[in-house]
Amino acid sequence: MLKYIFRRIIWMPVLLLMVSIIVFILGVYGPGDPIEVQLGNNYDEANAERIREKMGLNDPVIVQWMRYIGNAVTGDFGESYVFKNRDVSELLIPKLIVSAKLNIISFIIAISIGTPLGFYAAVSYGSSKDPIVVIISLIFYAMPVFFTAPLLILVFALQLDLVPAAGWGGVFDKRIILPALTVGVPGAAVFVRLIRSSMLEVLDSDYIKLARAKGVSEINVLWKHAFRNAMLPVVTIMGFSLAGLFGGSLIVEILYGIPGVGRISLDSVYSRDYPVIMAIVLLGSSALVIANLIIDFVYTLIDPRIDMQ
Amino acid sequence: MSKIKLFSLSLIVFAFISCGGDTTETNTKTVGKNSNVAPALEGNKSSESSAAKDNIFRLNFSDPPTFDPALVTDTTSASIIVEIFSGLVTLNKELEIIPDLAKSWDISDDGKTYTFNLRDDIKFSNGDKVTAGDFKWSIERAANPDTGSMNAEVYLGDIVGVTEVIDAGGSLTEVKGLSVIDDETLEITIDEPKTYFLAKLTYPTAFVLSEKYVTEQGENWIDQPVGTGPFVMTEYQIGQTLKLKPNDNYWGDKAKVDGIIMNLAGGVSMAMYENDEVDITGVGLADLERVKDPNDPLNKDLVNVPPQFSLNYIGFNVNMPPFDDVNFRKALSHAVDKEIIADKIYSGLTKPAFSIIPPGFPGYSPNIEGLNFNEELAKEYLSKSKYADPATRPRIIVTIPGTGGSPGLDTEVISDMWKETLGVEVEIQQVEWATYLQDMNRKRLQLWAGSGWQADYADPQDFIDVLFYSKSDVNHGNYSNSEVDDLILEARTEIDNNRRFLLYNQAEQMIVDDAAIFPLWFDTDGYALVKPWVRGYEFTPIIVPKFKDVEINS
Repeated sequence: MLKYIFRRIIWMPVLLLMVSIIVFILGVYGPGDPIEVQLGNNYDEANAERIREKMGLNDPVIVQWMRYIGNAVTGDFGESYVFKNRDVSELLIPKLIVSAKLNIISFIIAISIGTPLGFYAAVSYGSSKDPIVVIISLIFYAMPVFFTAPLLILVFALQLDLVPAAGWGGVFDKRIILPALTVGVPGAAVFVRLIRSSMLEVLDSDYIKLARAKGVSEINVLWKHAFRNAMLPVVTIMGFSLAGLFGGSLIVEILYGIPGVGRISLDSVYSRDYPVIMAIVLLGSSALVIANLIIDFVYTLIDPRIDMQ
Repeated sequence: MSKIKLFSLSLIVFAFISCGGDTTETNTKTVGKNSNVAPALEGNKSSESSAAKDNIFRLNFSDPPTFDPALVTDTTSASIIVEIFSGLVTLNKELEIIPDLAKSWDISDDGKTYTFNLRDDIKFSNGDKVTAGDFKWSIERAANPDTGSMNAEVYLGDIVGVTEVIDAGGSLTEVKGLSVIDDETLEITIDEPKTYFLAKLTYPTAFVLSEKYVTEQGENWIDQPVGTGPFVMTEYQIGQTLKLKPNDNYWGDKAKVDGIIMNLAGGVSMAMYENDEVDITGVGLADLERVKDPNDPLNKDLVNVPPQFSLNYIGFNVNMPPFDDVNFRKALSHAVDKEIIADKIYSGLTKPAFSIIPPGFPGYSPNIEGLNFNEELAKEYLSKSKYADPATRPRIIVTIPGTGGSPGLDTEVISDMWKETLGVEVEIQQVEWATYLQDMNRKRLQLWAGSGWQADYADPQDFIDVLFYSKSDVNHGNYSNSEVDDLILEARTEIDNNRRFLLYNQAEQMIVDDAAIFPLWFDTDGYALVKPWVRGYEFTPIIVPKFKDVEINS
């Protein structure tokens, strides 16, 4: 199994190199130019050329790329084109951490609400309580962020004055409540449906029927046997959440004034801030690969049916 | 998963979550020798309503790309830089050039040599003396391509020797046109008697830095900027907060307010204002009706914001059919009823433009005769043009910037008016901003809307010359009129300002008669909300220091 993990890990740098080539080529040959964006009204062809020359943007693509990779492997992701003389890592790391914290809390909310509800829905299968739970969770899922966020701000910040309207103070500051709910409550719907269908499948299986036949108490059937096996697909969802851990929801961050990575992810594309774009893309790809690896690994530990080749 | 594994996993997650107080993560730069930060400035946590009682001004702002005056190209950075740094001259509210660090200046008879007399005993915020040598060093630094300035050519290029330094690529550092007569006297020589040169010195690229401080600190000097403006930076967390406090070594009247807190992280500004988390906010179209209602409690906080000096227009590429025919351009110009658009669509928030230089701006003339709304005249011009017949008319595509799939309402209505009145069909194409900019700079757009021109410095040269001179790089429509060129060249070296403005107005009338562009809107009054306890905040249409007269009365 160690060999398997090793092979998967080796694949990661190869993948990242490929991703970096693609992004590089798109940047160089795609429309739009970071120098022009910054010069704006003061565009001057000669001036722009001189600046491009100095920044090495006129060098052959392969040279630029190798220069970038050479620096990146030592941890130097260059300086932002927009935020002058600012290291990309210095710029992004605090924002990534903020987004990650918000995502974790939102995830905890989603799973804490969604799991019991999904459990309840599955157990109430056949009665009217089941579709009611599902419908309510879907209603929350369908509500767009730009509807729920202003609504929550209006009610809880402006009218009830329980929390400030915007800002970020970390995980234990009350300002995380509204944004975490905004992201977490719709996310709960995912868990509701997941746990519910997973539970229903498990409840229908042979070993559950056997346990009931043996006379195991219903509580033990549900909790000790069914539930723990039904949680398996949750691991997959955790994997996807893990991959998106450092991603930021643009709208939530803007509306609540959260200094996360969402805004700069979009702004950097508009302004063609390539060093920032590259770092974010590479990070996202890495996160996805690592998350997949972790999930596969965790699966082999908890599901005896799976055997790693 | 076993219970132990689950427990340790949750421990790890918990540890990660609790790491670091978020208000002091890696990027806090608490600065200043005497960083006696008042308690109310500490952290974001309790700033919500406490600051209303302290003399602290709180507002929302965007993260500035840079604090270095030599590197600034955007308005966000410039707005903050003018509070921390300053230069020889600045502008007053009437857009007149007034002394800043230079108490007076003389101009030679040939108009090419300026001698600036600096004030006595001026200091940087760290106590170092400001000398003429610092000015020479700062300008040379801005001109040196190694510094990375993008607009040194524009703002300093008129000084003799600057272009040589820029072209030398770093090997030449001295600017011949700068001469230090003594510590308090600086002589600047420019290549031609350009009267608008002084206006360019009001822009940050020409501001003064401490040679001693910047050389000693090296690249990281910008993390603790030392300047000559009314404020100093005390704290900066990227993307979160920026805090300023008065500069004790400022030459002028010390700022009345004790501190400024800028929130850079975002949030719904109106909501934060209503919740007393900020002391000022802009008012968007969506909230306008509500706050204009006299019965709304916010109504008494409503203030007028004077217009920015900008012109919104539709551009014609005179090298591309059908816009190579002046009659066709005139036909389109006369066919649009701008008054009704301004009234119905923009609720009177824009002012129809029929000329180039905005009202209130130096050189503005109310006597320019524009191409007014006149359907008969429009049809007449169309019949006179080469492209009267729709069958032989080339395809027309108007390009607008942005994402989101809906063009501005004015573009839609204007296209409609062209169709109704003239039978001219126009397709609307939306292109993302950087791509739009690139196409515009390469002069390959046939017809474009959604962009405007805003003055960087208070001189009509920034409109007429920069936009319409045939060889200008930002003359995106290839407009070329040799008479206009002659007037522009003459104005460049005309020493008498009144005569100069007359030349620009003559050129302006020709540009309008040629329908070189289709002027749409001048910016008009906007609205903002300001808390009753804020005194002394002035809205200005051009970027000058705003905070030193602010005072919070609790």
